[in-house]
Amino acid sequence: MAKAVNLSPIEKIKKESNNLRGTITESLRDEITGAIVEEDQAVIKFHGMYQQDDRDIREERASKKLDRLYTFMIRLRLPGGFLTPEQWIATHNIAGENSTGIIKITTRQTLQLHGLIKSKIKPTIRAFNEAKLDSIATCGDINRNVVCSSHPKQSSIHNEIFSYADKISQLLMPKTKAYYEIWLDEEKILDKKEEEDLLYQDRYLPRKFKIAIAIPPNNDVDAFANDIGLIAIIENEKLLGYNIAVGGGLSATHGNDATYPRLATVIGFCNSEEQTLKAVYETLTIQRDFGNRSDRKLARLKYTLDKFGVEWFKQELENRIGFKLEKPREYTFNERSDYYGWHQNHEGLWYYTLFVENGRVLDTDEVKLKSALLAVAKAGTANFRFTCNQNIILSDIADQHKSKIETLLQNHGVIKHTTGTSAIRKNSMACVALNTCPLALAEGQRYLPSLISKIEPLLQKHQLSEEDIIIRMTGCPNGCARPYVAEIGLVGTAYGKYNMHIGGDHQGERLNKLFKHNLNEAAILLQLDKLFEKFNKSRMSFERFGDFALNEVNQLLN
Amino acid sequence: MLEEIKLKSLNALVEGLSQEELIWLNGYMAGLVKSSQSEVKSIPSVAEKITILFGTETGNSKKLATAFAAKLRKIGLTAKLSSMDQYKLSDLEKEEILLVIISTHGEGEPPAAAKKFYDHLQNNQLNLSKLKYSVLALGDTAYPLFCKAGEDIDVKLSGFGAVSLHALQKCDADYEQSANEWFDLIVEKLTLKQSAEIKLPSVSTSRQRKVYEGKINSKVNLNGNGSLKETFHIEIEAGELQYEPDDSIGIIPENPVATVRSIINLTGVNGLETIFLKDQEISIEESLNEKLNIFFLAERVVKKYAAIVNQEIPSIRMDLLDLIKIYPPKNAVQFKEILIVLEPIAPRLYSISSSLTAHTGEVHITVARNCFQLDQELRHGLCSNYLSQFEEGTSIKFYVHRNLQFKLPSADKDIIMIGPGTGVAPFRAFIEDRANTGATGKSWLFFGDQHFTTDFLYQTEWQGYLASGVLTKMNVAFSRDQQEKIYVQHKMLYHAVELYDWLMNGAYVFVCGAKNPMSLDVEIALLKILETEGSLSAEEAQNFLNQLSAENRYVKDVY
Repeated sequence: MAKAVNLSPIEKIKKESNNLRGTITESLRDEITGAIVEEDQAVIKFHGMYQQDDRDIREERASKKLDRLYTFMIRLRLPGGFLTPEQWIATHNIAGENSTGIIKITTRQTLQLHGLIKSKIKPTIRAFNEAKLDSIATCGDINRNVVCSSHPKQSSIHNEIFSYADKISQLLMPKTKAYYEIWLDEEKILDKKEEEDLLYQDRYLPRKFKIAIAIPPNNDVDAFANDIGLIAIIENEKLLGYNIAVGGGLSATHGNDATYPRLATVIGFCNSEEQTLKAVYETLTIQRDFGNRSDRKLARLKYTLDKFGVEWFKQELENRIGFKLEKPREYTFNERSDYYGWHQNHEGLWYYTLFVENGRVLDTDEVKLKSALLAVAKAGTANFRFTCNQNIILSDIADQHKSKIETLLQNHGVIKHTTGTSAIRKNSMACVALNTCPLALAEGQRYLPSLISKIEPLLQKHQLSEEDIIIRMTGCPNGCARPYVAEIGLVGTAYGKYNMHIGGDHQGERLNKLFKHNLNEAAILLQLDKLFEKFNKSRMSFERFGDFALNEVNQLLN
Repeated sequence: MLEEIKLKSLNALVEGLSQEELIWLNGYMAGLVKSSQSEVKSIPSVAEKITILFGTETGNSKKLATAFAAKLRKIGLTAKLSSMDQYKLSDLEKEEILLVIISTHGEGEPPAAAKKFYDHLQNNQLNLSKLKYSVLALGDTAYPLFCKAGEDIDVKLSGFGAVSLHALQKCDADYEQSANEWFDLIVEKLTLKQSAEIKLPSVSTSRQRKVYEGKINSKVNLNGNGSLKETFHIEIEAGELQYEPDDSIGIIPENPVATVRSIINLTGVNGLETIFLKDQEISIEESLNEKLNIFFLAERVVKKYAAIVNQEIPSIRMDLLDLIKIYPPKNAVQFKEILIVLEPIAPRLYSISSSLTAHTGEVHITVARNCFQLDQELRHGLCSNYLSQFEEGTSIKFYVHRNLQFKLPSADKDIIMIGPGTGVAPFRAFIEDRANTGATGKSWLFFGDQHFTTDFLYQTEWQGYLASGVLTKMNVAFSRDQQEKIYVQHKMLYHAVELYDWLMNGAYVFVCGAKNPMSLDVEIALLKILETEGSLSAEEAQNFLNQLSAENRYVKDVY
């Protein structure tokens, strides 16, 4: 076990937080600042929020003798990424009243709102609660939102697999009632035993923890980028169980060689729900007990795994679960894309996947996406599902309602937007970055769309417009938009500068490699032009760009 | 002073005497006093009832009235002291000796508290032939209609047959000396102490104000992006600057050169030609640039303009340039007649929001764009003109206007400051002063505005003062951040228990900002806190507040 010396400051805050209460209530009462005290900033993450500030206007506000414009981002807990139309309407209204108005679909299948000022947090959480939505444990050192392959046409037993997202989420919820006490004014717990937490104890995990469930052959959830990836093994339309992969995680730190992205390692197969849930649960207890609690940069499960070894980990897990893991079963992934447009599931229900650039739901001059979705929700005949590619699937639509939905989408320009968007744009992803993310070194979602507009002509020039190439950008090396498993990954190093990574595969089973350092826009475009030209000329038939690029980067490195 | 029985016999004696007889008696008594001064310090000459009525805006009239009443008491005369808004108007015709102290505001208007009394005189026919009176008028020669309210009252009282004890006394911004002289003469009249040698000029010679030549060092809009407000923090540097944190500065704005050029070109007048303004020879161009108000002329000026150009002009406020365009004067000669009826540019007063102890050689002001709103009519061009005088690097002339009521008390006293919007300006000065003089008294600030994120004026400074303890406590109310409107008075009520404790421990209460409705709502809140926390009746609470006010522990600077 890690020695209890030199614990990171966050460890002390968690332990002394009185089961995640901290002094949040007092912080909320402070009228003079829009911020909460530093310790509470760590604690409030466990309630699904980050304190941020508008970095664009820091200097301007300082000159105006105004404090930084502190706001909060709130992220919902939506296991598997599902909302009823009523819940979408509620979210739409809450976003309009309390936040920037933009609903952001995250890369992990949930929704977040930005720009809540302190006094709006409580009304927001109360309104979400009325819609039976919460934000418990969506940030912080704890199991986050559980993601699951999103498209029901993926399998006739999609629903059965999808239900695991919720089961796992419930299993790994913290036991504290702090959320209800602080935000919903529920009565205070008098007997602390009522919230005794055998899983998290009073120290929670050393770092965030992510779980994904994938249904082959589509790896849309990027299973291997998660601490635990569960790969559904289906035979003859029956769920046999899950391969369990552990130790994935993409965050790294510039200039710190001890940090690195890592894909999860498949360590075995669980043949039942009971086995699967046990294995998941005890993976968390191992990480709780053995994870690094002194250096947060080295605290994810992947470092624990590499420190002690995969074999050790498997042994420890089997000791804790009390059974042997079976050998991993065969599976094949071949893509990570969303199924845009109309599709039907095995029961004949209809699904429309629409493109949402960087997951930002808002009305623009060209596409009235937010209005369209509100109209669809008000029609009440479609559920909302969110994908790990930050798109929306209007779901479970009966045949007789399809045409009305189609008309609504058509009238708001959504269909044209979805079909008319280039392949590369549909395969793109960027993190939030500037202006609200405190970690950002460079732009993300504000910049990638315009960069893609400059990449599209290059693709056209080399007859590659129809090619599905996965391109992802982040404003820092922490990997929120999973750039290290992209075919082209751009990782911000400084304002306007990106490291270019290439050579990841199309299905997310291989990390890419660093190709060029600190490129500005012109240099990025120049490199891509050269790569596209060579790819077009020398590709083998059906060769993916990522596989071609691997050779290029390997030649450079050798 | 007199035992009741003596008073009765004296009353019996003087009753029914004619004026001449009374005057003779007075002289006789005065002689008696003179011959027996060692035994009797002073004997009041009359048994007539004296009433001192004051109409106050900033508290100066009230302060004088209270001091005079006390002086009268010292020499054995009792006077009824009343604020005009508390005065029973039907008593007027029963008064015998009436001393009126009244200030003038804005464009010749009486203070709000004097409005009822003023209108009563304007709208009624009264018989005041039994009344002896004198009016002390407070004003500021920098404004066009100097002491107008006092003048009007004087004219009316005399018109109703009242006898003037002493001619109308007008006082300028430094009013104390002339006011005291007036009062001494009144006392002499009342006690019939003849003193031919003391002569009072009808208008006091105002002490020459020190005019500073400053430079605008910085101008920042304190409101964040997206705010509906614009509040400018302006820093002015000047040599040998002297002021107190509770003072204001007066700035006489200059008219924009382009507008003056247009006026000169349109009227064909020679800008270099000189005219006489207030006995001072000055070129027409200079007068239009620096002396005469050419924007938003008062209706009375428009009326005079109409008479000169002999045209029908609706009686609305207009800019001179517009008048000239629509109703052009016949020629340059006629225009010079118009120049004479124009009124001087009124200075604009701004609360100082800095302390010299914190900023040597600098004075800061806090100016909201909407403070240039005149008569509810916001005219953006006008506002921009006024604001443009504050561009960085601009030279600016200003003087320090002393505030005698709104005084930061000694360092050991607790203060409660209620200043929403730009009302917070003097409190920044207070706190800066306290920070740099090591005050031991506690300070509590109530601030309010529309939105927390954009309108929290001087937010980071308050945070610093709270952290260092100079500011003990601060509560804020942002009216538009939630469905229900929350204002400073609501925050006061929320903290009623603590606020009451502070009051009981001797705290001073300062209110600065909008008179209506803010200061009225704040007062209602204070009364409510006294009633609920102090278990007082409504009347007792009002008395308590009046007492605080009399002790200068409840002071308002509202506009």
